[in-house]
Amino acid sequence: MSAEAVATDHGHDHDDHHHDLPFYKKYIWSTDHKVIGIQYAITALLFLAFGFFLMMVMRWSIAYPEEPLPGYLSWIFSDEWKARWLQDGRVTGETYNMFGAMHGTIMVFLGIVPLGFAAFGNYITPLQIGTIDMAFPKLNMMSYWLYLAGGLTMCASFFMESGAAKSGWTNYAPLANFADGQIVNQFLAGQTQWLLGMVLLITSSLLGAVNFLTTLINLRAKGMTWMRMPFFCWAMLVTGFLLLLAFPPLEVAAIMQLMDRTVGSSFFTPSGLYTSTAGVIEASGGGSPLLYQHLFWFLGHPEVYVLLLPAIACVAEIIPVNTRKPLWGYKPMVWSIVILGFLSFIVWAHHMYLTGMGPVISTWFQTTTVLISVPSVILLTSLIVSLWGGSIRFNMPMLWAAAFLPMFGIGGLTGLPLAFNLVDLHLHDTYYVIGHFHYVVAPGILFGLFAGLYHWFPKVTGRHMNTFLGHLHFWPSLVFMNVLFFPMLIQGMAGFHRRWYNGGDAYLSKAADSENVFGNTVAEWIHLNPVMSFGAFMLAIAQIPFCINFFLSIFAGKKIKNDNPYDATTLEWATPTPPPHGNFTFDVAAYRGPYEYSRDDHEGDFFPQWEEPKRNKPAKEPKTSPVS
Amino acid sequence: MEIPYTVTARKDTGLFNSKVGIWLFLASEVMLFGGLFSGYVFLRIYADYPWPERALPIVPGLINTFVLIGSSVTVVFAWAALKMREWRKFQIYMGITIACAAIFMVLKGIEYKAKLEHQAVRMDDFAIIEGHAHYAVVGDDGKISHADTKTKAKKLSDSGAKPFKANAILFKPQTIDFSVARAHQPWVEAVLEQAAKRKSKLVTAEDLFLYGSIRDYAGTEQEPLSSKGRTNSEAELVAKYANAEEKAGHTFGERSLYIPAGTELSYDLVKQAREVYVSGRSHNAVARTAILKANWKKVKAARPEDKYWEQAPDARIDSATQLDEQFDSEGNCISGSKVVSVVSTLSFQMSPPQPIVIDRGWVKRPVKAQEGKAELRDDTSFNAGSAGDSAPGLLSSPLILAVDAIDFRWMAQKAEEAGKEPLEVIEKSWIFSEENKHAKYYKRIWKNHKARIAELEKELLEGYGRDKEGNAKRVPTETDRYRITWQDLVHYARVDQHEGRPPKPSDKEYADLRPKFWDGFAGPNHKDEEIHELHAFPELEIPHQKVSLQSMFTPKWNTYYAVYFTITGLHGLHVIGGAIVLGYYLFFSKGLYRRNPEWLANRVEVGGLFWHFVDLVWIFLFPILYLM
Repeated sequence: MSAEAVATDHGHDHDDHHHDLPFYKKYIWSTDHKVIGIQYAITALLFLAFGFFLMMVMRWSIAYPEEPLPGYLSWIFSDEWKARWLQDGRVTGETYNMFGAMHGTIMVFLGIVPLGFAAFGNYITPLQIGTIDMAFPKLNMMSYWLYLAGGLTMCASFFMESGAAKSGWTNYAPLANFADGQIVNQFLAGQTQWLLGMVLLITSSLLGAVNFLTTLINLRAKGMTWMRMPFFCWAMLVTGFLLLLAFPPLEVAAIMQLMDRTVGSSFFTPSGLYTSTAGVIEASGGGSPLLYQHLFWFLGHPEVYVLLLPAIACVAEIIPVNTRKPLWGYKPMVWSIVILGFLSFIVWAHHMYLTGMGPVISTWFQTTTVLISVPSVILLTSLIVSLWGGSIRFNMPMLWAAAFLPMFGIGGLTGLPLAFNLVDLHLHDTYYVIGHFHYVVAPGILFGLFAGLYHWFPKVTGRHMNTFLGHLHFWPSLVFMNVLFFPMLIQGMAGFHRRWYNGGDAYLSKAADSENVFGNTVAEWIHLNPVMSFGAFMLAIAQIPFCINFFLSIFAGKKIKNDNPYDATTLEWATPTPPPHGNFTFDVAAYRGPYEYSRDDHEGDFFPQWEEPKRNKPAKEPKTSPVS
Repeated sequence: MEIPYTVTARKDTGLFNSKVGIWLFLASEVMLFGGLFSGYVFLRIYADYPWPERALPIVPGLINTFVLIGSSVTVVFAWAALKMREWRKFQIYMGITIACAAIFMVLKGIEYKAKLEHQAVRMDDFAIIEGHAHYAVVGDDGKISHADTKTKAKKLSDSGAKPFKANAILFKPQTIDFSVARAHQPWVEAVLEQAAKRKSKLVTAEDLFLYGSIRDYAGTEQEPLSSKGRTNSEAELVAKYANAEEKAGHTFGERSLYIPAGTELSYDLVKQAREVYVSGRSHNAVARTAILKANWKKVKAARPEDKYWEQAPDARIDSATQLDEQFDSEGNCISGSKVVSVVSTLSFQMSPPQPIVIDRGWVKRPVKAQEGKAELRDDTSFNAGSAGDSAPGLLSSPLILAVDAIDFRWMAQKAEEAGKEPLEVIEKSWIFSEENKHAKYYKRIWKNHKARIAELEKELLEGYGRDKEGNAKRVPTETDRYRITWQDLVHYARVDQHEGRPPKPSDKEYADLRPKFWDGFAGPNHKDEEIHELHAFPELEIPHQKVSLQSMFTPKWNTYYAVYFTITGLHGLHVIGGAIVLGYYLFFSKGLYRRNPEWLANRVEVGGLFWHFVDLVWIFLFPILYLM
């Protein structure tokens, strides 16, 4: 950021931005990290809404399998589409599978990762480390457009003859190798489109990860040593490494499955495979379905932390600001997150206890999985202890952040039993797994991201979001998240399978002396289905105030009093609002750690990172060579 | 405003941005190729078939290794030249680098081409036959003839019918049923073209009425959505098809189609039928949904206390049975009905029946003679006629090969698994039996091979002696024993036709007759004159029913070739990508050189790092794919 660097680079054929850029260059083909962040956020929110809609259709089918879809769910489909995919207005198993697979894919790969890592990361990271943009702005733009192309490629398949992918969000072979096999042009089959979309998304993530990491390593402002970096930036660093190293194996799996589907290779097709449509498959065989699972979960598990870390990072920023005290245990948290990142690479096969890979391997992965709970608990505990003794401001971001803690806690603790392979034998593929995972992701991660949205909204727009609408969003969301997900844990322990499209209707038996013993268990707990679906629909209604609030507040929200409305200490609040191109109006430097609140030796309850130390006090000079 | 550290290195990290970026990118590339190599290891360890060892010609791979190593050196020289500001030298060295990339890709292309032209067959007794397939052609009279090249085959047909590789399916249908919804245009047209060539016609056998919707929509309040915006007026249709209406005796809908008996097949007709079909499907879906909703309300109202009312028999009206009551006895919809009868297949008679060539990739499942039909993936069905007919449908079209390798390893493995003597099983197999009219060639080859292996066994015994238990310390490998390579075939042919007395394996000149490892640059050369004169690659006519898998040497053939094509293909893409980037520096960066030569040097350095990585991958690839 030094003046020298600017001078050296002067006159290069660098595609620079000027303030008189035409609209499309400023807001669409933009290379500015903030505009790209906003593009990511809006796109991801739209994908989240779409994924939510798919889930509502599924929840209808589970709760009321015999009834046609109501008008408020079916209006979106054309007559032709309904004729093809609904059986007289009812959701068929095939359609349910399609929606299920796409719900998972959209929520994970198109919704939460882009919102957490790409949107928040893009907007906040360069501001927090005090630089003018990402290291490779054009690459950054390309990441966004590849992401959008990948997402649209996947979603376009809803309108194809085959429909979208139907083999679960994990796309396990050999099922996924042969699904949509009847389609003449395999490149137009939903299952293949999923793979093509995934290759684009992975490429986008890789470029993004390289960009983030380079920015964090090479573009930190003067004095921004590693241990002065806000926790948010550390989380982005670790997330970047996870994406960088975990995604390529999934790319390998996607490429191999693409080969299997389009040119008939047998990477994942075992010898002598028989399917009802094609008989004994005319393929060489000799492949391994287990190989696919290994490659998938080698990504799949780190991916969970890619989802989680940005959310926990938002919460870790919001808590110190609103408790007016430093983050408790900043250093242990940093080390935890680094160790967490490392361990997440060696736990993947705990998703595969039931594949018959052998007890020795299962035991190893059980051990590592239990180990990984240690850094996770350190993170959560530090956040909770950070609240202790603080004078907490319960504004909207803080409410979401506070709700994140117990909700994520439930998600994490319900995961522990699944780590043990004996318990997992019973719980595998039941609603318990769904409940656990959704507790982590929906009331956990999404609450963290909502906290972030409310927290940084003023920096992006210059206006606060409305508090009343905020409460109208928050409280119903909190209640109905639990109405939706807690019964899943109960049903799961009763043995409800995660892929029943009719919610167990087919197993139902109410006769006391029935030989169908399982049917009686189902009869005991099936009434929870409508309860959960009610929760889901109410949850949808609870998001309406948010949508109104979001768009209304951009134009009519309460204006912020100054550029630092929360009296926060990190560098993003040192910029004008909204930050102009180039971000900072002065030569920014970090003079101290990120969470200097309520210091005894400083007047006022916060001491920003950028505030130069007073001359008469012998404070440390910023290091010219910022090595920790 | 410029991004800092694009040209100069940051002091504490010692790196400029793109150098950090490329190292991170290479880390992810390591994971990508690491995933692929792991896949290779996994598939090879768990292979349930004899792995093709040293199956690739070594010379092109070896040359490519040196070419890439050379280019890695020149790219460093190019960078050094830039550092010393010697543009001319840079041009030369970079030029050589890119030329090396081109040579590499050309050699790769030659290798690929040889694989794609090379036929492999797995017979039902697990003998593997490799060779070049002959071409076949169907004459105007329906007779099939063969020739060993495409041009020769073309001359065999008067009207210039397309020659096809002898592995296509020949089917003589009485009728062909096309799926209205799914018939694939190129396939319909291919069938039409072939029928026309052989002076045969495809016509409908009986009158067909297709309905898309009903105008008179009695029973519900509103007209179905599907009939909105349709243009054909009822009056027009009635006028056009006056007779048809009288005959069927019911009201025409807005969208309908009348196909009189004797109409010839055209894709246009299928398309028209498809429009009506889609309209009919959506009409029915709307109507049935309305019926179902009304019924559901009624049942629910009748059972206010019943928790399981959805299980009640009258709640489950199945559209397939109860809703169809509104059809008349012939299956046509009656006037006033809410649903229409949807025609989903169009049946055409072929007169006179003529053979149709069906690509193997088109069929849904392997075609068997006794089934009397062939089903394509677009649900087109070729029917051979009624069971009483003598018409066989599937015509004999044997696979004719010029054989250049025979592999009995799998057969031997299967024999050992079954506790049989491998040699006995091999010698009793089809290829040496009376059924094979070319058996005498193969008996001679086998005799030669056994003699050579016996000599090899003797040599090994003499060379290495026996162990304590009296067994030979070294014996010929399975590959030596059971695989007859093209070099072996040429060798034995030379021995047999040696001037004067054929040398014995123990003779000195016997070994001199063997082709050297540099012969046959990219594999067996079928155009070689000597091989042709010696008749070293004898013909083999394999009946269809003996073939269990046939393929070119493509990813389909086995997982080894799948790995080979996938990894070398991805590596090739990296070579091309790298060459494009380096080419950009060479041809389009003179301007940058003038303005900021250091920046260009940085770029070349980063490009060179990538180039080294590409080279490194090849250095791993060459031994594991070519030598091991």
